[in-house]
Amino acid sequence: MATTTTTTTTVPGRTKHAKAILGDELHKKLGETKVLVVGAGGIGCELVKTLVLSGFIKITLLDLDTIDLSNLNRQFLFRTTHIKKPKSLIAASVAATFNPLVHITPIQDNIMDSEKYHVEWFAGFDLVLNALDNLEARKYVGRMCVAAGVRMVESGTAGYLGQVQPIVGGVTECFECMEKPKGGKTYPVCTIRSTPSLPIHCVVWSKSYLMGQLFGVDEDAGTELDEAEKQGENAEEIANLRKEAESFAQVRAAIRSGGPAARMIFDKIFNTDINRLLSMSDMWNHRAKPVPLDFAQIMREEDPTENGAVALKDQKKLTTKENLELFISSVSALSARLSSTETLIEFDKDDDDTLDFVTAASNLRSLAYGIPQKTKWEVKEMAGNIIPAIATTNAIIAGLIVLQAVHLVAASLGRSTSTSTASHSTLSSTSTSSPFTALRNIHIQLKPAVPLSAITTSRPNPACGICRDVYTVVRCDPLRATLRDVVQGVLGGTPTPTPTPNSNSNSNSNSNSTSTSTSTSNSNPPSPSISEFTVFASSPSAPSSTRILADPDWDDNLDRTLGSLNVRCGMFVNVWKWEWKTLSIGIGGLPPNYHAGEGRGWLLLPDPLPRLVVRKEKEKEKRVSGVRPQPQQQPGRTSLKRSLGDDEGDGGDIVVLDDDNNNNGADAHPPAAKKRKTTTSHPPPSTPPKSKPTQTTQTTKTTSKHAPAHPAFSFSSPSKKRQLEEEGLVLMESAEEELRDDISISEDGNRGGGDGGEDVIVID
Amino acid sequence: MASGEFTEEEQGRYDRQIRLWGIEAQQRMRNATILVVRLRGTATETIKNIVLAGIGKLILVDADDVEEEDLGAGFFFRDDDVGKKRVDAAKARIENLNPLVTVETVPNFNVLNNQNFESTVNGVDLVCITEWDRDDLVRLNNICRRLRKPFYSGGTYGLLGYIFCDLLDHNYFSSDRSSPKDAPKSIQMKVSYPSLQDALRHRWSLLSKRQTKELNPASVFAILALWQFQSIQKRLPIGAQDVGELQQIADALVSEADVNKQVITTVPHSLIESVTMTAVHEFSPVCAIVGGLLAQDILKTLAAREPPIANFLTFDGNTGGASVCKLSMS
Repeated sequence: MATTTTTTTTVPGRTKHAKAILGDELHKKLGETKVLVVGAGGIGCELVKTLVLSGFIKITLLDLDTIDLSNLNRQFLFRTTHIKKPKSLIAASVAATFNPLVHITPIQDNIMDSEKYHVEWFAGFDLVLNALDNLEARKYVGRMCVAAGVRMVESGTAGYLGQVQPIVGGVTECFECMEKPKGGKTYPVCTIRSTPSLPIHCVVWSKSYLMGQLFGVDEDAGTELDEAEKQGENAEEIANLRKEAESFAQVRAAIRSGGPAARMIFDKIFNTDINRLLSMSDMWNHRAKPVPLDFAQIMREEDPTENGAVALKDQKKLTTKENLELFISSVSALSARLSSTETLIEFDKDDDDTLDFVTAASNLRSLAYGIPQKTKWEVKEMAGNIIPAIATTNAIIAGLIVLQAVHLVAASLGRSTSTSTASHSTLSSTSTSSPFTALRNIHIQLKPAVPLSAITTSRPNPACGICRDVYTVVRCDPLRATLRDVVQGVLGGTPTPTPTPNSNSNSNSNSNSTSTSTSTSNSNPPSPSISEFTVFASSPSAPSSTRILADPDWDDNLDRTLGSLNVRCGMFVNVWKWEWKTLSIGIGGLPPNYHAGEGRGWLLLPDPLPRLVVRKEKEKEKRVSGVRPQPQQQPGRTSLKRSLGDDEGDGGDIVVLDDDNNNNGADAHPPAAKKRKTTTSHPPPSTPPKSKPTQTTQTTKTTSKHAPAHPAFSFSSPSKKRQLEEEGLVLMESAEEELRDDISISEDGNRGGGDGGEDVIVID
Repeated sequence: MASGEFTEEEQGRYDRQIRLWGIEAQQRMRNATILVVRLRGTATETIKNIVLAGIGKLILVDADDVEEEDLGAGFFFRDDDVGKKRVDAAKARIENLNPLVTVETVPNFNVLNNQNFESTVNGVDLVCITEWDRDDLVRLNNICRRLRKPFYSGGTYGLLGYIFCDLLDHNYFSSDRSSPKDAPKSIQMKVSYPSLQDALRHRWSLLSKRQTKELNPASVFAILALWQFQSIQKRLPIGAQDVGELQQIADALVSEADVNKQVITTVPHSLIESVTMTAVHEFSPVCAIVGGLLAQDILKTLAAREPPIANFLTFDGNTGGASVCKLSMS
């Protein structure tokens, strides 16, 4: 302590304070730490500033977005003159002026480009700090950091609230250890299309359905209706909706001819279509009937006398006539655009013509259905998934991120910054306890006595489908390396499916639901064979959406190249078997200067090979006693040469299959029926099958809690929600629910770089 | 209160926050003049936030020159500003944050003399004094009370930070969380604040063990001890030679305040030690957090929306936690 002071008091200049607080060693270490900041929006701007001032020097800043006027209330690195310029570039150049020593590398790109931002790329950083605004990108970065073994801090803000979560793989919970609140809200198609009862139903209808029908691509809406019908929605109603869809062809033509189309559209959607709905009398037995609108009658209304001025003109309540006039003017503006330069127009909350149209159309629909109307201001928020955002919350969260980042850097010096007031209290003090005891999950909360709650981090969820995997990387040419090359290579030993038909493969064929206790009880255990495992591919941008490539009953794909199986660089090949933790193999490209050596020049296995990890101590005793994780063997390059193998699974084994598709194994995509079978007989990766009787109560509990985090494992017939999501619909359950950017099906859903960087994923 | 229509520029710039606190709150902010005294790290962050939010006018007072170490948390300064008046170096960069806000600077502390301070305070809506000593805060707070102006003070000591506020009799609207979400209701609330002088006489006797613990008394008394030390020594502690005295002061304060003895009878020595070594230093993340909390509370008070701090917040950068003690609040 005293030495620290002596040193720091003699150091002049800008780092004097920081060195006094951190100590020289830790301060120096901050400057050497390679930091990746993902997102240069609300949190990102604050974060880069605080990092730069704290002593971090090597910073890479990635963001996809450009600057907008509505950013300027909080993204303080940006000025009016920067509007439309890339956030990453401007933030990097402005923040660099705060400290001439720093090196900030800006990247304007989508972080979820897994071919560029793969495991190896992430492994090039010492610390990753998320400042993102959408769930997909958060999950992506979270998974990549776990896979690459890089420590990270996750964060989010929404309005006054926010949270910070440091993540150390294997030590703390990862981003997906706890199920995240589901962002998306869904409505039955019929609620949106024929029986709306809330303003949001009308907004969704005009934004996602009507806009597309009139100004979007001429898509076949039939599939959606087919699906709705399958889901058991009213058949008559669906038939009716089909007629409605067909009649859109006419108005689409009118719009594109350049003539006045508003009246025609109006009559169709607010009169003809509603009359057609009314003809289905059953539908209105228990609900209020809509009232068809009369164009001429509305136009005859008197103009309103100027009512009291409002501070924001978009907050003005429109009369029916004003809504109709807005409808006419917006249709004519959009039509003009379609007949000149644009071929299709999608809703964009910052495109005033589209916002006017959605406002007017949803209000007119609300009028027909007796639903309260909304102002343009309100519609913008509902349709545009706008999350309120302020500078202060972002500044606080960014400060908290940096404090956690400092703890993580200190831990990498092999010491704890355990700083609870009960023990030590400067960030530079040392402790004999775990280097991670100082980490805290922090929430901004509304509780007056404790505005910032700091909670000790939790252990990883043993049933987590992400961070409990064993990760490794294989660098290869996916066009040449076969699935067997890669998987058997990582498992060790020969990739050749030598006919050593010990009981392993056969007994394991059914192992997913039956005992495997004898399966690997060899005295001198060989490397496990690929044919004992279920192998599936997943993309880091959608880790829970998996594709089965092979399982003990189905080996048709083993000798196909990754490329032909649609497994590209940046994706994962996961190797699953009940006893062991899932082995996740990140597929990386060969290094640029890699020389194809003897024979297997297209494959670089990790050295050493990863250890297979037995799932659980108790499980090991009970189920796989005597079976240790396979002793690791040297890559043994020569032995890796694959001979043409016979098919171990000779078809006779495939008794479990309940379909006739197993002979379609040559298909790059496993047949759907195969997937369904998998759904029921295979658990999610790392999640033990629920039917296993040997699970401890605790595991069962966490499993069931966690299971919904892998919704994609319910492959079973894509719900209509999913269908609608693919169309970009934002579907909500009720108007009370807040819309959020992380809903993922919004237009912002695919952004990887983060724009505002600012919604909360976890709020207590 | 004036309430002209907002320009397109204002509507676009403030969109995301008006959706949070409403147009009326934005108007109140736009009409407010804030006095901020002393420009170090905490004030830098606070000013950035309230200027971005769109207050009407900022009056910034600081007599000192930029020193090299001010660059550590002061992002309004650049290397070649060293030696210039802090307010002169910062003015253009503050204005640049939001051209809609007026910035006035005062390059001396004469305005804090009793007579001058009264006339200055009369012309502002809220006073915020940062990184100042306790005895003078008491004096300035009393003047603000007399003139019925809300008073904030805040600052950091290494990893610790605090905010104290005296909002007199403060009326505000708070959202009623029991009301349905589609028909949110506000309830009008009223809260009376004590002066800093009275707050410092607070006794903790009534708090349960759990309530006491939640308030992180070690941090609270570390800060109160720093204030006391500064009052006696006319400086903050700066080195190992000050540890003993600070410890003594802190423990005496704990005992006087009648803090639940099951929770704390002495401020942990390691904390006293580190506070002694770091009290005169500032660290950007801590300034960002305290300045963020301080600015947010000033904005809440201006907007008369949501409950403000009542009345002494301490932040502990070791954990990242912050708690609020009700010092002598009824």
